[in-house]
This record gives sequence, C-alpha cells and structure tokens, in this order.
Amino acid sequence: MKQGFRQSMAWLHTWSGLVVGWVLFAVFVTGTATYYRAEISRWMQPELRREATIAPEALAASADRAVAYLQEQAGGARTWFVTLPTPERPLIELFWRNRPGTPPGHVLLDPRTGAPAAMRATRGGDFLYRFHFELNLAPLWGRWIVGLCAMVMLVALVSGIVTHRRIFTDFFTLRRDKAAQRGWLDAHNVSGVLALPFHLMITYSGVVTLALMYMPWGVTAAYKGDSQAYFAETGQITQARPAAGAPGTLAPVGPMVARALATLPGPLERLTIVNPRDAQSTVVAVFEEPHGLSHEHPQVAFAGTSGAVVEVLSGGLAPAARTFTTLVGLHEAHFAGTALRGLFFLCGLMGCTMVGSGLVLWQVARQPKHGAAPGFGWRLVHGLNLGTVAGLPGAIAAYLLANRLLPLDLAGRPEWEVRAFFGAWIAIAVAGAWPAPRRAWRGALAAVALLFVAAVLADVATARGLWDDPAWFLGFDLALLALAAGFALVSRKVARFAGPRRARAAGAPAGVPRMGPA
Amino acid sequence: MTMPGTTSPGLTLLVCAGLGFLGLAALCLSLARHHQAVWSHPPDHRRRLGLRGAGWALVALSLAVAIHRDGWAFGPVDWLGALTGAGLLLIVVQSYRPRALLWLAPLAALLTVVAALGVPG
Repeated sequence: MKQGFRQSMAWLHTWSGLVVGWVLFAVFVTGTATYYRAEISRWMQPELRREATIAPEALAASADRAVAYLQEQAGGARTWFVTLPTPERPLIELFWRNRPGTPPGHVLLDPRTGAPAAMRATRGGDFLYRFHFELNLAPLWGRWIVGLCAMVMLVALVSGIVTHRRIFTDFFTLRRDKAAQRGWLDAHNVSGVLALPFHLMITYSGVVTLALMYMPWGVTAAYKGDSQAYFAETGQITQARPAAGAPGTLAPVGPMVARALATLPGPLERLTIVNPRDAQSTVVAVFEEPHGLSHEHPQVAFAGTSGAVVEVLSGGLAPAARTFTTLVGLHEAHFAGTALRGLFFLCGLMGCTMVGSGLVLWQVARQPKHGAAPGFGWRLVHGLNLGTVAGLPGAIAAYLLANRLLPLDLAGRPEWEVRAFFGAWIAIAVAGAWPAPRRAWRGALAAVALLFVAAVLADVATARGLWDDPAWFLGFDLALLALAAGFALVSRKVARFAGPRRARAAGAPAGVPRMGPA
Repeated sequence: MTMPGTTSPGLTLLVCAGLGFLGLAALCLSLARHHQAVWSHPPDHRRRLGLRGAGWALVALSLAVAIHRDGWAFGPVDWLGALTGAGLLLIVVQSYRPRALLWLAPLAALLTVVAALGVPG
C-alpha cells in the first residue's frame, strides 16, 4: 500500500459511504419517522375515538368477537393474529396468514359491534415502518439490501472516525464563513460525531435485529434450520405445537383472556391462534413488554380445544438471548418516555443529516470548475442525491396529503396512498434532474416545504370536524409545519449562498476531499 | 437507588442535559477558537486547565446523576441522549450567537438546580 493508513481509510469512507448512502438515507428517514409510528397512524385515521379505559370483560368480549369474525371470514387460515383494543387505539386489528402463495388478510373491527370499523383505509405509520427495513420490496430482497447497506455503514462509520483528524478540537466547530465544502464537511462531522454513540448503536443493533436471517448457520446446525425451535428453547416464544392433522373445535377465547389476565400482570396486547381448526390448536396470549431495555413479551399459551394453560413465559432469558433482546429493545426504544423518545428522534434526524450531508459533500468536493461541463458520474450522483434527499421527504408529505385528499370510498385506498408516495418521489427526482444544480436544489426543497404545508392545510380543511383531541392534531400539524420551515430555510440558503471571494476565485478543489484541515 | 421510571423521567433528563450543557460549554470554551469568539482572546494556561477540569467533572456528574436516578440499564441511555441534545444546542448557539453563552450558561445552571430540586431522592 503506497498511501498512508489515513488516506486509505478516507478513500474507503468516501466510496463506501457514497455507494450505500442513498439507501441509508431512506432507511434513516423512515426509521426516524417510525419513532412516531403510532402517532402517524393516529393522524392518518382521524375518525378514531380514544377511550379512557378498557375493562377486562370488554377485552374478553372483543376477543370473542374477533374469533367469530375470523371463523366466518378466514376459517381456512393457518394462523390468526388478533391485536386487542387499548385506550389509545380502541380497535381490534385482525391479520391472518393463509396457505403459502395466497396473500394474507387484514381488517380493523369496532370492538363494540365486531363489524369492520368505519374508518378510512390506510397503512398509516406501518408503511414507513416496513419501508425502513424492507424498502417496499419482497421482504427477503428488502431485508438483504438494507442489511448489507447497514453492514457497509458500520465500515463507513469506523473508517470515518479514523479519517477525522481533529475529532476533539473540531468537536464544537460549525464554520459558516468559509467555502461551501468546509461548511458541508463541518455539518457532516458535527452530526456524525455528536450523535456517534447513537449511530453506532442503531446501525449495529439494526443488523443484529435480523442477524438470524443474515447468519442462519448456527440455527441450521443446531436446530436443523428450525428457527422457531431456537426461539422457543431460548425462551423468547412459547413451544410450537404441531398440527395434529385432525379437525378440532376452538374453545371460546374470552375465558382464556380472563385466565391470562389473572396469570400475568401488565396489559394484554394480542392473541396468536395457530391452526385454529385443528385438534392441536394453540392460543397464545402475548402481553406488552414490561418496563426495561430488553424487548421481551411475557406470554401464556393455551391448548385451543380445551382452554387449558400449557405454558407460561415470563422473563428468565439466558444471557445470550437476553443480549439479543436488549439490542433489539435499544433499537426500537419502546421503553422511552416522551422526552427520551424526543431525544432518540433528534438523534435520528442527526443521522439523516450525517448521511445527507455526506452525499452532498461528495458532490460539492467534485464540483466542476467554473465553465466546465460536469461529467456523467457527477451528474448521476447529483440526480440521485437530489432525488433521494429531497425526493423522500417530499414523498412522505405526499403520502400524508393523499391520506386527506383521496375519496374515502376509493377502492384500494391504501395502495393509492402508497402510489402517491412513490409518484411524488419520482416526480421530484425527474423534475430535479434537468435544471442547473443550484436551481434544481432550491426548487425541489421548496416543493417539499410546500407539500408539507399542503398536508397541514388539507388536514385542517377536510378533517377538522373529526378530531377527537384538537390540541393533539394541531400539535402534529405544527410538527409538520416545523419540517416545512426547515426545508424552506435550506432552500433559501441554497438560493442565497455565496462562498467567500477567496474560495470562489480559487475554484472549489476537485480532488478527493480532505477529511480534516491539513 | 430508586425504582427506574417511577417518577418524572423528564426531570431527570433535564438535570442530565443541564449538567451536560454546562460541562460541554466549559470544554468548548477551553478551546482557543471558541474562547476567542466569546471573550475575543484565547484562554491562558490556567484558565484552559480550569475549564477543562470543570467540563469533564460536570459531564461525569451528569452520568452519575443519570445512573443514581435511573439505574445502570437506563442511566447511560438517558445520559447519552441528554448529552447529545445538549451538545447540539451548544453547537448551534456558539456558531450563530457565541456571546449568547454568557446568559445561556447561567440560565442552564438555574434550570438544572430547579429541576434537581424537583427530582425526589
């Protein structure tokens, strides 16, 4: 190796970061939004009415209504998932898995009547949540792409630390009076270094979340590939009960719910009913995670035909399994209260800033000399940068806007919202590819700001009468307006930016960016 | 040690963030560039050592408070989160309005004391 260690790390950082940067930006943005997944879902279904409490008897009755609906509509399904109502979300959510090759089913029921809930159909925050690790692709493809990008991100993080010469002296430095490249480098360094503990934690724990998929060999060797057996033996789920192959009748689930509530403390979250029409059917009552870093759901399993308890699972994980569940718990941050969740969200935004500013930095550092035509590579990176950094936030705004503007009785409404998401993304990316770079950035960022403002206006105009808690909805709208203001501000800065005379006269350096001042 | 999460986690975070802000501000001002932005001259040797010592002590105190209040599992998470938020505020303030530190630091100290008094235990 002719170059020094630091130079080779700078090369590695620049190129590993560029190659995965676009996917990582999407993963960071949707992941950051997912900290408020429940809130996004609530905003997207303003018809929802929250309740003060839900009595245990009402919970049992809801479970019975859910099973009645499933017996009628999804009798042949392999597994039923019943999410029980909570005061925050008083709905029964049903999901069922059919035979392989047939799409799964999904419906929301009103817990009082057991009929489908009268609410606009939407995928809500769940769409962004799934996009975060599947990119709206087939799950296997999406998870592999996101996972590989996350692994490269770990490489980029570590090589970035090595490359950064003045990590302590520049810790607090955000120079605004120097050339554009200096400013972007400072923004990249500050957002990267300040939230470095978060970035390392979130990337590593993100890979660990799906580690069994990326590295299945341990389970292949020890459990013959049966990951359910592995999860059961490590105490993360209850033992699987294989189907008997003979028909059986499911006992009423209401008493099982009552029994589960008497067995374990804490709120009951959902029921999983496996092989519902088999003689060996199983009902598993899954509780919410108790307060703790670790992601663990206490569970009670019942024999479906008799309603007898077959297993109670509550804590007591072995150290290895507990390490895994703690990393998953840290990644999801379900334990975080309002203030801490706000800080996680802030760290997520800094992650978005780090990836976005890194992408722009590549572009700025290689800006063609005044008058020279940019090469194909530069134009390609510019187009992808603009398409991702402005396109994705614009897509999210369009997704929210479509939620308010599409006709309520439109067939396939959730799919149309997703089409609006991708339509806006493509439109911004394509429209931004033609004009001169600075005009393109200014216009695209302004368009994103306008889309967020439009979503707020559409909310106030069409859904005002539906709000069950106007202060809450106005607060959400205010957050959207803050995002709009942020994009408008950056758009204005792009339009007004003039580098210092010295830098303009010399022309921006065209070589590999220096990662720290020499 | 109190039970984690039983009382006002927001106040604990505020105390951590306040101590973290003061600590990071002291560390920041121990650097010539940032000291100059506030007082238009670099710190002398004694002042630099003093600021640096106070800075690390306050950051460490912030961690100690977090662990005392929220235990070994949640404490470090709270601490890092609060420190990151405080650091971001500090960086934005000292690159746009460096002299605002002269009144922000006393305000942060006051808020920290008030929040600390509001935290039982």
